[in-house]
Amino acid sequence: MHDKIREFIFENFLFNAEGSALDNDASFLETGIIDSTGMLELVNWIQETYGFEVDDTELVPENLDSVNRLAIYIDRKTQAATRVSG
Amino acid sequence: MLVHDYLIRSAERFPEKTALVHGGRRTSYSELLSLASSVSSWLRHAGVEKGDRVAILNDDPREYISSYFGILMAGGIVVALNTDTSARTLGAQISGCGVSAAITQAKFMGYLRDLGKGVTSLKSVAASGLKPSDAGDEGYALSDLKDAFVFPPGTPARSARADLAQVIYTSGTTGGSSAVTLRHSNLAANTASIIEYLKLGEGDSVMAVLPFFYSYGNSVMLTHIAAGGRLVVNQNFLYPNLILDQMAAEEVTGFSGVPSTYAILLNRSALRRYKFPALRYMTQAGGAMPPRLAREMKSVFPDVDFYVMYGQTEASARLSYLEPHELLRKAGSVGKAIPGVLLEVLDEGGGPVGPGETGEIVASGENIMAGYWREPEKTARVLKNGKLWTGDLARVDEEGFIYIVSRKSDIIKCGSHRIHPAEIEEVLAEHAAVHESAVIGVEDEILGEALKALVVLKTGYQCSRNELLQHLKALLPSYKVPQHIDFIPELPKTSSGKIKRALLKTPSAPGSPGSIGQRSQKEAG
Repeated sequence: MHDKIREFIFENFLFNAEGSALDNDASFLETGIIDSTGMLELVNWIQETYGFEVDDTELVPENLDSVNRLAIYIDRKTQAATRVSG
Repeated sequence: MLVHDYLIRSAERFPEKTALVHGGRRTSYSELLSLASSVSSWLRHAGVEKGDRVAILNDDPREYISSYFGILMAGGIVVALNTDTSARTLGAQISGCGVSAAITQAKFMGYLRDLGKGVTSLKSVAASGLKPSDAGDEGYALSDLKDAFVFPPGTPARSARADLAQVIYTSGTTGGSSAVTLRHSNLAANTASIIEYLKLGEGDSVMAVLPFFYSYGNSVMLTHIAAGGRLVVNQNFLYPNLILDQMAAEEVTGFSGVPSTYAILLNRSALRRYKFPALRYMTQAGGAMPPRLAREMKSVFPDVDFYVMYGQTEASARLSYLEPHELLRKAGSVGKAIPGVLLEVLDEGGGPVGPGETGEIVASGENIMAGYWREPEKTARVLKNGKLWTGDLARVDEEGFIYIVSRKSDIIKCGSHRIHPAEIEEVLAEHAAVHESAVIGVEDEILGEALKALVVLKTGYQCSRNELLQHLKALLPSYKVPQHIDFIPELPKTSSGKIKRALLKTPSAPGSPGSIGQRSQKEAG
């Protein structure tokens, strides 16, 4: 999960730049890695890749503002979806 | 009225009133004036004289605003710079208008130190967050300013209304980056006009999300300080719901955005779940907004006045607005001239066009710039007999409402930024594999226009999209890095060798990206 998220971020926002370090706890808000339109791309990617709808109220730093937070959020949402469908 | 008088007068009238809210911190008018006075004192101590250019490279609103007024109080000219920058851009801007002092933050000191020998004008730097021991001979830690140089407020340098107050870098209508120079009188005329038609008063407070270094954000800042209002500032739009929370908590009366701001709010926020009983108006400028978005905003907030506006940096910001009650009846129009401005739509010979015919918008009024910094020829191309030829093509209906048809120049309006394609094409040309390129704006639901680079590689060379993106990112601010890159075999050109940009935007045209984009990426990959 973490690797997949990192791969998307490196591919789209860091352009696979060599030597670019990205701490899994680094805040996107503070580091400026992602801008407001980049955040839209990220949310679209999450929806397409993991097959769930990101509700407008969920677009908050607690869910999205680092690789680790994204992983926890996606995990929680996909598990919830599994429970509903199961 | 001089521009710094706004702060001095509001501090006299409302000393304890909150002028600024940012990150949970509240700054009163008297505090803001005190900080500005300290900045002014430091600048005079540093040898800054009347008419000297002083840069602000600072994303802290409290420091930005106090520096802005402090520079003017010292008789200097504000050169407010985009903090999303690169060493190359910064070097060109600082040397371009001979900046002699800068007020910044420790995090930007790396850029300033990297400027190198090409930039000789910069003598003094004050930076917040800098340890005094790191400041060096010419640097000064901003946190110490207040204690070190306390002068009584109200002793500003003797500026006149005709003196220059500000330089704003923008992608000008005539190509390349332009340094627009604005007099005190230009900014004061525009500020008074905006206050009049938005009916701003001391009871107003605005959610300021736009950067102050562009003319739209600059006008939001100036109008509220002049009116004695309150600025609630959050210039990071990554999580719009946080902005909406703050708008509700602070009971703001106004909101200003560019088309992409409203597109994001409507499509990617919980906007419809909020109620803002205090919100009185919203403004939109910075490029054409699809009427559909304006209608949607109006349907979400039927009781809030929605102002569609139009302007240029060359006009200190504002030229026209559409009365909110005409929003639906005159959808797509930018309205009529603001108070104090005359707008004409003229043909190439300078005569007025008839109703429904297309011509160029020509503006006159006290808000029109002095010119581009030390570029008389470039200035003469747009300022003729005191009138500004905007480069924007428009038609006027029988009731006098103006509709923008297209822009004469190649400037791309991407989000809140104006970008000239040449700035990106020049950097692309520096890559060893690139033969030539053309950068165009393509329609984008959120950004208005997204940047697309069409690249022709040199024969025998290979280069991937990511390699080019890395190259661009190293040399350009991130907002100038194209969202799309297509490799194409050749660029369509006129017989004189000029790129046919309009043809590149047509997907079905021969040689256009639509017809060859898919194969070329693979080939070049």
